[in-house]
Formats: sequence, C-alpha cells, structure tokens
Amino acid sequence: MMDVKRVISTIERNYIKNNLKKEERVDGRGLWDYRKFKVFPDIISSAEGSADVSLGETRIITGLKYEIGEPFPDNPNEGVCTVMAELLPLASPLFERGPPDEQSIELARVVDRGIRHADCVQTKKLCIRENKLAYILFVDMYVINYGGNMIDCGTVSVLTTLISSHIPEGKWSEGNGLEWTGKYLTGQNIVNELPLVTTYAKIDNVIFLDPNLVEELVSDGRMSISCTSDKITSIQKSGTATFSLDEIKMLCRKSLEIGQKVRSELNLWQYKKIIE
Amino acid sequence: MLLIKDEYPKLLFREDGKRLDGRDKLELRPIKMEVGVIKNADGSAYIEWGNNKIFAAVYGPREVHPHHLAKPDRGALRVFYRMATFSVFDRKRPAPGRREKEISMIIGDCLEPVLFLELYPGTSFEIFIEVVDADGGTRCASTTVAALALADAGIPMRSLVTAVAVGKIDDEIVVDLSGIEDKAGQADMPLAVSWFNNQISLLQFDGNVSIEEFEKFLEHAKDAAQKIYEIQLAALKNKYISIQNNVEKDVEKENKEVEIK
Repeated sequence: MMDVKRVISTIERNYIKNNLKKEERVDGRGLWDYRKFKVFPDIISSAEGSADVSLGETRIITGLKYEIGEPFPDNPNEGVCTVMAELLPLASPLFERGPPDEQSIELARVVDRGIRHADCVQTKKLCIRENKLAYILFVDMYVINYGGNMIDCGTVSVLTTLISSHIPEGKWSEGNGLEWTGKYLTGQNIVNELPLVTTYAKIDNVIFLDPNLVEELVSDGRMSISCTSDKITSIQKSGTATFSLDEIKMLCRKSLEIGQKVRSELNLWQYKKIIE
Repeated sequence: MLLIKDEYPKLLFREDGKRLDGRDKLELRPIKMEVGVIKNADGSAYIEWGNNKIFAAVYGPREVHPHHLAKPDRGALRVFYRMATFSVFDRKRPAPGRREKEISMIIGDCLEPVLFLELYPGTSFEIFIEVVDADGGTRCASTTVAALALADAGIPMRSLVTAVAVGKIDDEIVVDLSGIEDKAGQADMPLAVSWFNNQISLLQFDGNVSIEEFEKFLEHAKDAAQKIYEIQLAALKNKYISIQNNVEKDVEKENKEVEIK
C-alpha cells in the first residue's frame, strides 16, 4: 500500500488512473467489490451502546449516550436521535485539531440523513410523555484510522451501535412522575429498518465502489446512496465530478443490489443486546 | 436532567476483605497493551487497563502549526488528551474542557524529560490521546500508553515512563483505584516514574493522609509501576517478535518454492 502523507505524486496519480481504466485497482479488487468489514459490538462499558467497525484500513468507534429532554414542538410525540462525527487528529496526518470541519460535518450529516428517512430509529417509541419528556440519543462516531470511505464504515458502525444498545426504560405516571422500570429498551424498540450507504468514487469516466485512501484522494468526486431493502432513502454527491443521468440510474440500481448483499453478509441483527 | 443517578456504595471492601471488583489491596487491574494499532500514525499504542480503553498516536518530528509555536533551539512536544463523549457516565460535551487541557499539560511535562528535544529544533512532536472508555486512572493509563507510542514511533528516548495511582479507601491503602474507588475514596495519588533516572516525573495528590501514610504511598507506587513497566516492555518486544515470525515464514516459503523448482 502506498504511504499517504499529504501530497500524492503525479506518477502515483497516473498509475491509479491508468489501472482503473483497465478495470484494475491498486489493492487488487474488482470495481464493485467492498473491502472486508470487521464488526465488534458493545465494546464500551460506559456507553449505552457501541461498536468498533473497520472497513479495510478505516476504523470507526461509535458510542451511544442518552439524555431525557423535551421533544421538538413539531414532533411532540417523538424522541430525537442526533449523529455526530469527530475526525480525530490521531487518525490521519490529514486531519487537524479544532472544532468540526466541513469533512466531519458531511460525514455526520450523510450518515444521519441515511438513517433518518428510512424508518430506522423508532423515534415514536422513544417518547415518554407527549410534549414533555422524550429520549434524546447522541450517537457519536470517532474515526480512529482514516483509510478512505468513512461514510459506509460509519453507517455500519452507527447501525451496530443502535442494534447493540440497551437504554434504561422510563415510564411516566401522573402520581409519581418519571419512574425507571429496571428494564431496558433494546433491539426493535430502538431500530427497525437497516439502511446501508454505498459510496462510489469517480475518476475521469470510471466509477467504482468503496474507494480506499489513495483512490479517494485522487478521485474527482463521490456519490453516496443510502438504501433500505427496496427503497432509496438519501443521496449525497460530493467533490467536483459530474455524473450523467444514466450513471445515476445505474448506481441506484447497483446500490439496492449491493446493499442487500452486504446486509445479509453482515447480518447485523445478530448483535442485538439480550439482557437476562 | 432526569437521568438514573450514578450511585456509590457505602463500603468499598467486600466482607471477605477484597475490593468490590475482587482485587487484593495491592493488586492491579488486568492490563493489556499493543503497539502499532493506527497505521497512519508515525507511532501508536492501545491500552486496556481494567475498563479503560485508550488510544495514543504520535506524529513527528513534523512542521509546527501554528508557526509561532516553533522553538528555534529545540523541538516542541504537544500532548492532546481527549475523552470521547460516551466514555463517561454522563455524556461529556464534545469540546475539550479545563480538565482535559490540564491533564494534557501534565502528561507533556512528564514525557518531555525522556526525549532529546534539543536534537530537533524548529519541529513539533504531537501526541494525541483518545480515551474511548474511562473507569478511573485515565491519566496514568494515558501517560503509560503515550510513552509506548513514542517508543513505537522510533523517537530516541532516554527510557520509558510508567504511571500508576495509589490511594486510600475506607482507611486502607490500595493500588490502582477504579472509577468508584476514585470517586468515593479518601485519597488519590497518580504518579509516574521515568526509568532512566528512577525519578518521579508526574505527581498529583488529592486527599487527606498522614506523613507516614504518604511515605507508604510512594513505596507501593514504585512497586506497582515496576510491574506495569514489564508489560510495557513486553508489548514493544511483541511487535518485533511478530515481525520476525513473518519474515521467517516468508523465508521458509521461498525455500520451499526453490525446492519445488
């Protein structure tokens, strides 16, 4: 693998481009192959849910914390789920310290939008008392190593976190106010659909799945498409590349197909938290 | 906020005289260390110390940003200790707080004496420490893992640095306080030993003890640090043993291929 510091030389750039035109990639994958996912659920004892997910060299640790707050006035009977991403400066020499920059906000927003429109987080089950009390879930992603395509890795990390989470159950009664039942909200009480994001990169006229670090840095642009088993729920195009209508149609179909394959391979529901 | 309260037990020892997590008074929690866990970094290390889980990465020597922090006669060492929002009981705010900045500074001051910064004028070494799970003693674990990451980066060092905490709970002196013991106990003293001169390079103390007790604290700390130092050394050696094994496998493979031909 090439050693990426700050600048990629023209020779390396051309090497990657010319190989892609021959449908070959620097790490030996085909154009529509993912790198290997590694998923470890519920690894943080202080968090109500967590996951350590690697996609190739990219590694993201996600944790869930909750607070009890007021629901938003426009959705008085729904809880809230917010996604945040932190590109830690330890993860890459390309990341700098300081408040979230565009890249980390994009990562958090794309992952958030991917799950928001897909009936994923069961916000209606996260309301304790209409207009007054609801769960506010904070799902925070921390990038530990940056090896390209953080969006897909982050989505799997967030979904695993939600599935493996265990949130204390609170009930409202007129006499006693908020009471903790001693039970936990898990699995289907928090999540339903599992939307997966598939990210493609484009260099000149070649489009391919799951760019690794060098490919991502060389690429003209990316397209991230979030799909449930049968619906498209969100799309983000970033970078300066332009896509034709036919390419977009083709990628949407590919996403449904690849998403379904990855969903069954990862079988994320196996990580559901079971509390005796 | 209407969260379930983080409650502390009244007694910190069980009826059989052991601590709540089953340890003896001078027993450490299980410690696991690994180096080279972050590929992008010049050096990196990971530690699991009881429930603490901490990553450290070293970048440097490299250009100083912002430029006015560069020192003309020596390298600048900068440490950034940070905690993940989900690493503690109540969600921590994402922006670094006063506590994190202070701990960053004392870890930096603790590590600087073992480095030869005068050999690297105008450059910076940055150590990023990320606590993803915290359960008492994170500054000790962070110092220990940061020293290991520096060694992994191949930066010349006079020696490693090892940190450990000693404290007093229910009128007894104990080593390596857990989160509950730290909050509900009577005294807590994190301390780091730099091995090249056998001196103390990090010391904080909070509590209320007699001078005799305090002297015992120091003795116990040195003994405990020695045990952790062994684990640090083993983690570094392990990296090279695994590299050596890989090389030997490759050589065997090549030899076989030659035989077949």
